[in-house]
Amino acid sequence: MKRRKRSIPKQLVILISLIFIMGMSFSAVAQGQEKLKVGIIHIGSINDAGYNQAHSDGVQAMKRNLPNVEVLQAENVPEGADAERVMENMIKQGAKLIIPASFGYLDPALRVAKKYPGVKFVHPGGYRLAPNLSTYWASTPEAFYLMGIAAGKTTKTNKAGYVVALPISFFLANINAFHLGARSVNPKFETRVVFMGTFLDAPKEAIAASALLDMGVDVLGVIVDSPITVVQAAEKRGAYSVGYHYLGAQKFAPKGWISGVAFTWGELYTRFARQVMDGTWKSEGLFGNLTSDYLTIAPFGPAVPPGAIKLVNDTKQEFIAGKKNVFQGPLKDNKGVERVKAGEAFPLTGIGKMDWLVEGIIGQSK
Amino acid sequence: MSELLLVSIMIGAIQSGTPLLYATLSETIGERVGIINLGLEGIMLIGAVVGFVITVLTGNAALGVVAAALAGALFNMIFAFLVITRRANQLACGLALMFCGVGLSALIGAPFIGRQIEGLNAIKIPVFSDLPFFGRAFFQHDILVYLAIPTAVVIWWFLFKTRWGLSLRAVGENPTAAFAAGKNPYLLQYQVLFISGLLGGIAGAHLSLALAHNWAEWMTAGRGFFAVALVIFAKWHPLRAIAGALLFGGAISLQLQMQARGVPVSSFILDMLPYVLSLTVLVIWGRTSRSAVPGSLGRVFQGTE
Amino acid sequence: MDKTKGLMEILRHKRVAAVIRFGGLFGLALAVFAMVLLVFGQNPFRAYADIFRATLGSSHGFSEVLVKMIPLVLTALAVAIPSRIWLINVGGEGQLFIGALFATWGAVNFTHLPAWLMLPWICFLGFLGGGLWASISGFMRAKGWASETISTLLMNYVAILLVSFFVFGPWKDPESANYPQSAPFPDAAILPSLLDSRIHLGALIAIAGLLLFYFVMTRTRWGLEMRAMGINQEAARRNGVSTNRYILLLMFIGGGMAGLAGMGEVSAIHGQLRPSLSPGLGYMGFLISWITMGSPLGIVAAAFLISIITAGGDILQMTHRIPAAAIHILMALVLFVVLARSTGKKGGK
Repeated sequence: MKRRKRSIPKQLVILISLIFIMGMSFSAVAQGQEKLKVGIIHIGSINDAGYNQAHSDGVQAMKRNLPNVEVLQAENVPEGADAERVMENMIKQGAKLIIPASFGYLDPALRVAKKYPGVKFVHPGGYRLAPNLSTYWASTPEAFYLMGIAAGKTTKTNKAGYVVALPISFFLANINAFHLGARSVNPKFETRVVFMGTFLDAPKEAIAASALLDMGVDVLGVIVDSPITVVQAAEKRGAYSVGYHYLGAQKFAPKGWISGVAFTWGELYTRFARQVMDGTWKSEGLFGNLTSDYLTIAPFGPAVPPGAIKLVNDTKQEFIAGKKNVFQGPLKDNKGVERVKAGEAFPLTGIGKMDWLVEGIIGQSK
Repeated sequence: MSELLLVSIMIGAIQSGTPLLYATLSETIGERVGIINLGLEGIMLIGAVVGFVITVLTGNAALGVVAAALAGALFNMIFAFLVITRRANQLACGLALMFCGVGLSALIGAPFIGRQIEGLNAIKIPVFSDLPFFGRAFFQHDILVYLAIPTAVVIWWFLFKTRWGLSLRAVGENPTAAFAAGKNPYLLQYQVLFISGLLGGIAGAHLSLALAHNWAEWMTAGRGFFAVALVIFAKWHPLRAIAGALLFGGAISLQLQMQARGVPVSSFILDMLPYVLSLTVLVIWGRTSRSAVPGSLGRVFQGTE
Repeated sequence: MDKTKGLMEILRHKRVAAVIRFGGLFGLALAVFAMVLLVFGQNPFRAYADIFRATLGSSHGFSEVLVKMIPLVLTALAVAIPSRIWLINVGGEGQLFIGALFATWGAVNFTHLPAWLMLPWICFLGFLGGGLWASISGFMRAKGWASETISTLLMNYVAILLVSFFVFGPWKDPESANYPQSAPFPDAAILPSLLDSRIHLGALIAIAGLLLFYFVMTRTRWGLEMRAMGINQEAARRNGVSTNRYILLLMFIGGGMAGLAGMGEVSAIHGQLRPSLSPGLGYMGFLISWITMGSPLGIVAAAFLISIITAGGDILQMTHRIPAAAIHILMALVLFVVLARSTGKKGGK
């Protein structure tokens, strides 16, 4: 009996030698043309109709714009050791521009960037730069404020619910902005927040959505990787929904769709690739706004009253003209602590540090 | 208000408890015949994706459920072959099966992500669904919810009231003795693992067809593993599994309700509730003898013998 | 056990045949996966060659395989050590997280320590954290309250949430702003690595752990006692061996190993604590340990194989457009082959 047990490791050793031999006999294919290779790594699946698909569609658009570009894509890459390995692998394959498309890839990317100064990195939503690492993102609270206006005008029960992955500052800022926008047109509006603890657990999202709907909520917002589950759940129960990240989410709720904030990265990625090709790329921190071509407000659904759409557009112009602030004081958080003094405004560049939920939101920010 | 809260918690408990119950039953009968299957997660994923794909293709969710069950059962036959015929280590085979399920389901499901289905919807039971409290809580669910408890009862009946169940348990207790008594342990184990796969597939189908109405990679999110824990919790008893699944489902539901009602506790701490609660209940209520463990389940771990 | 000499000879003869058959089966696994690749319109030979080039065919690729192996070996030990007395520790993942949590506490709060003090300090804390977390399950098992299988499994979830709680709340690095992570480790608390690869000190810890495990199990009285206990707990108890003491001790040491894995990941790979610390390393370790029945050499070989396949998966999806998850199929196929081969037995029991 014991003999057999011992034989397992031996088999494995044999197996490994087999791999060696097999690999030796095949490996020798070389590659490398003049094309620009762009590597992008995703934290989730690229067809999630959400965060990852927005990035993936972005590089596909870039590829259409620039036939001379080749894309290396890797999805479901965990942060940490794996991310570094994948980036280095991409560089070994000849990638000259790397898009580590998740916040958590920042540190691995910084480390790889240091090791390969000739390769350019563009990282979304970060807070650090390196000589060969840029960061890009867009300030979304203004857009969420506009969503809030539309929702506040559309709701019948004056209650909204947000299904959110984790209490991350950017998300908290978005929910705060949404709530403030809704309150600006509907003083009775209340927003509830439920955190999932993960970016991907569709059954749990469905149960959370239905629990919120049972409480009389008739607007559901969602900030997880894939909005499909929640948007569909709202549609099924005749409620309204607000999307995030990806334009295509609308088709899951033809009736109840209010609108959504979406990223359309195609043009930006095209610019990055072009800059790398003609040598004009430089390290910078891009933080777009409503005027940027990569932050888009999705078309409004049929449920939104025309008056609301006009109000949204007017407010949008005010934001663009700089006449209005999303987080205009005085603002208290939902524990009663004053966060923004009267006459001051919380700067949009500082939302990375927002760790509170505004008064009137039911939920915990930590 | 508090009645609404109770109803909501109950609905959530039933909704999240149902797939867990099917999964727990699947694991229970397997372990009763002496086989621990950590690959349940993979079986559920196969069930979830096949159920979804067939529903997309045919537009018929009932067909989807049947296909999910069959796919789960066939998939489990890989495991059955390895652990019964090849006598390989069950724990390792289970995890390997899980990985296979993760990969295969992702591959099958990729072209179907984002497809819309009608899925399984709530069926209101006439008269009962109009009852003040119970109506909303118990009589407005999808078909798989209504079938869950009867399934548990049927399995209990088969296990404890039929000759087949007796032989099955005999094999689980002591395969050698059962063999000597003229029973064919292999055949029984294959049969049981087939049924176990059916149930696991249905558990997955409930996730994709009734809850999420959607397919997403790795959408089981650990529920298959949790079911393995619930089996021990339920002391290998199908009827106690109902209580276990409801308790855990209830804890998830309560946790979400507390968040949505602004209970001032970190959501991470609230998220621990289902696990801590199960463990606590187990310790308080499960301190009695360990006699419920199927006799040969321990042997399994020395499975190479 | 008492086999005749003639039988031995046949067996020995059969082993040659077995090796050939095994090679064939492995080829079969590759062939089945090659068909999957063909369905996706890929050239399987190119794919396998690319996998090889990215993993074993270059020094960098090879070093990355070793980096990946370090936590796998440690988490496999975390399962293998308690498995000597048939304790099933499913909790490697949770123990890894708590080890990382403890190590982070030490690194971030004692920033003034020099490296020669800091490194042992965080190693100690990592071990302690994982060990204590596992001991809770050991204690419950020893008391007869709950089986360690269920308690370690449930506590995985709790451990991950606990880490989330700390990095989203009290330990959140104010600098990092948006995203939850602890303050970065001071330089002294980052495990030194070999040349410019990412192979870090954890490799030595893993090797030491393996050797110690092998030595204790085969060369000491403890090892003997444990083996006796594994075979028959009742008899061992009658012979005056205290089972409970061993349950607690082995769970502690096992958990400690996973804790060291967590310490290594957080210090050398991440440099700060994050909720996304581990992509299921604890479960992989469990698989490795049971596939090899806890044999030290087997653990190394299996961890090596799994690391190659995972690393190869990147290449498949990067250059061959295969969904990332597909690599799990290849892994499962290879595992199935290994498992099916490992115990080819005659007859029932």
